[in-house]
Amino acid sequence: MDFTTFVKPSNGGGSGGGDANDGGQKLQFWKHVEYIENHGKQEDDYEYCMTEFLRMSGIYWGTTALDIMGQLERLERKSIIEFVKRCQCPTTGGFAPCEGHDPHLLYTLSAIQILCTYDALEEIDREAVVRFVVGLQQPDGSFFGDKWGEVDTRFSFCAVASLTLLGRMEQTIDVEKAVKFVLSCCNQTDGGFGSKPGAESHAGLIYCCVGFFSLTQRLHLLDVDKLGWWLCERQLPSGGLNGRPEKLPDVCYSWWVLASLTIMGRLHWISSEKLQQFILSCQDAETGGFSDRTGNMPDIFHTLFGIGGLSLLGHSGLKAINPTLCMPQYIIDRLGIKPQRLPRP
Amino acid sequence: MHGRVKVRTTEEERERKKKEQALKVRAYRAAMGRIQKKREAGELDNEMLSLTVQILLRNPDVSTLWNIRRECVLEKLSKLKEGEATYETPTEEKSEEEKQTEASEKKTLPEDNAHSVFTHELDLTEQCLMVNPKSYNAWHHRCWTLEQNPQADWQREVQLCNKYLKFDERNFHTWDYRRYVTGKAMVPAVQELDFCTEKIKVNFSNYSSWHHRSLLLPGLYPNQQKDRPMSEEKLQKELEMVLTAAFTDPNDSSAWFYQRWLLGSGAQLDRAPRIAAFRLDSHGAVLALDKPYPDIKQLRTELIGGEETILLESWLPVDKLGTSWKCQQNFDYQRNSAYSFRLSDQNVNLSPMSGSENGAYYFAPPHGTASCSKDLLAELQTQLQSCLDLLEFEPDSKWTLLTSALLMRAIDFSANHETSLLNLAKLEKVDSLREGYYKDLAARWTMESELDKWPQTSGFPKSFDIADKVLLESLPYGQYLVIADEISIPNKLKEKLGDSVPKTFADLKLLS
Repeated sequence: MDFTTFVKPSNGGGSGGGDANDGGQKLQFWKHVEYIENHGKQEDDYEYCMTEFLRMSGIYWGTTALDIMGQLERLERKSIIEFVKRCQCPTTGGFAPCEGHDPHLLYTLSAIQILCTYDALEEIDREAVVRFVVGLQQPDGSFFGDKWGEVDTRFSFCAVASLTLLGRMEQTIDVEKAVKFVLSCCNQTDGGFGSKPGAESHAGLIYCCVGFFSLTQRLHLLDVDKLGWWLCERQLPSGGLNGRPEKLPDVCYSWWVLASLTIMGRLHWISSEKLQQFILSCQDAETGGFSDRTGNMPDIFHTLFGIGGLSLLGHSGLKAINPTLCMPQYIIDRLGIKPQRLPRP
Repeated sequence: MHGRVKVRTTEEERERKKKEQALKVRAYRAAMGRIQKKREAGELDNEMLSLTVQILLRNPDVSTLWNIRRECVLEKLSKLKEGEATYETPTEEKSEEEKQTEASEKKTLPEDNAHSVFTHELDLTEQCLMVNPKSYNAWHHRCWTLEQNPQADWQREVQLCNKYLKFDERNFHTWDYRRYVTGKAMVPAVQELDFCTEKIKVNFSNYSSWHHRSLLLPGLYPNQQKDRPMSEEKLQKELEMVLTAAFTDPNDSSAWFYQRWLLGSGAQLDRAPRIAAFRLDSHGAVLALDKPYPDIKQLRTELIGGEETILLESWLPVDKLGTSWKCQQNFDYQRNSAYSFRLSDQNVNLSPMSGSENGAYYFAPPHGTASCSKDLLAELQTQLQSCLDLLEFEPDSKWTLLTSALLMRAIDFSANHETSLLNLAKLEKVDSLREGYYKDLAARWTMESELDKWPQTSGFPKSFDIADKVLLESLPYGQYLVIADEISIPNKLKEKLGDSVPKTFADLKLLS
């Protein structure tokens, strides 16, 4: 199954959106729409083929970015839902990234996110998904990604995010134990989090852990001053943010740091203006799409985080995004979910 | 996809590349198709292993292929157990010499013995990690393989980490793996600390190594009072080392983060909340905690007066964060009795309100002073002087400005309060990206100072007045004011805070 069948014939131009100019570079709105729409139209495309092992996440990145831009109808709803349904493993209940691959928590969350976007959760066996997630929790509260036993705080986030979206956080997993495990991954030096106890703090994993506490309504457990400082120190003179000290800036890290700071009520600790300039400088004006850094090759992953970052920064012409779940806010409202956020001090 | 520069290519080159890629796509599809067929047929054999190798060497992120390899390994192991295990390695302990001979004989051993099965997997992950040293899947497969092998050579894995950290000293996967294998190999913590020191000597700009160090020190040199990250003696040595490193290139942030941690309290994230402030009269009580704790029902709260112990129940939240609480319970308050208040295992004596006021209170300002030996104080002063000297030459050096403010506060926070605020004001300009952070930090330090001075003011604890602090951008520690009747803050701040102006004892009485 390829992305090809998800794309409706292009109608060219269209309405909605807007070429907003927020100083410096302009957002290449329609170029990005086109980029996402065309992503995978050529099924023999090398990159596309080589990334089939994360196809489900790829679809989540594409649909979410398009939805934020108000252009979701450009993709074929029905065939996407059919694809997602075919990827649910009949034995375990988890989702594979694509047919012929094995189910995993990472792709299970992506699948649930896509179905929420399309308001189509009833199309799948939800109880089976709940069983899959619950079955991966370990006695210490951590989560395996799949039956092969890798433990990572990313999976703790995937587990609670999936259950929250399914409305099944109550009486399923042991939340207290899950909280205890994530807390054991907090580093005293910087208040940040790594992938497992003792692992170095990393912006991507911090996003997962802060998101985890936001979903379990336990943000009070964070050392917001310490962690917020470390996070705002990720901003570099270019305006972009890195994931760890003395590393290069990157659009995806920009999202992870930005979203974490927003959840913690500390967005004003960085320069939004400079960050916006950086994100816009990572657009590919020829093909559309965003790359990790200025002048690099664009991809669908960085395109979502570029668009998402701009939305969080309040760029005009984009729908509001929820920082915890990285999905359009209107969907989160429709589901009646309220991830916790701290007020600005 | 990270770090791929977009390059201009000629039409010809593009065509050539396209053809090349088309071939790769075809090969990938063919191999994947074959793998899936074989898996369905349950053929977990050597052919399966070689098919997956072809793809994994190029793309170690295809996790399903690693799963298939694990299935193959388990299949082989169970067959070996079933009795075909004539070549299986004996389980008794072997000397180093024997191990070496065995390793050299390895090639002559038949394919299917447990040792060679494991070696095969380890070799493949090593090759894959050469291609992509950040492949979660390859690292995990290596861990999984070693866990299957009761005779895994953990010492060899430690050596492998040493090698990998030479290629990339910041790869967090390698550091994570190192913590895992040094645990298995039971490498003493002191030895790991020496390893960190060596790494930092080679290149001090290594946040990963400073981090690893921060995990080892509190255990090796514990602080008895628990108000600093490690013993004062060791702390002094660390401060010396880190400042030397930081001064090598004051613009590199790695060592400065470590320095700030050293100067902190070393408090654990999961420590219990402590009583910040408490006040009661005949109609009820208010309680402020030094950190948020929404689940107050979990904590036992008691009022002890004279012969009586009253359990305080049904606390209601005063703020959204869970730092201040009220309890509308009637007491028979006796002016002449001494009262104390207990929160879990913390017990504090209450002071009676002055004048004709009915009731009693407790207050502990947020800025605690950690113990400081003469030697440590001298070290802090030397460090501050070095920072001030550097600022003479580089007055805009961000990290030096921040660190000197932190050192001043560590030496004497109230005497140096105004000077440390000047540093923050300067930082707002030289590090303007984080202007908002410095403003909030200035507000914190100001409130810490004002709350520290509060008990000495005439209106304490009934009135709190900081109306003259017009630069205040936010009002941290607001919960401490819950015991006051009246608070005066600058008008601008009041407008900004709106609904979140802290509630006072008087406000809460009106509400009840």
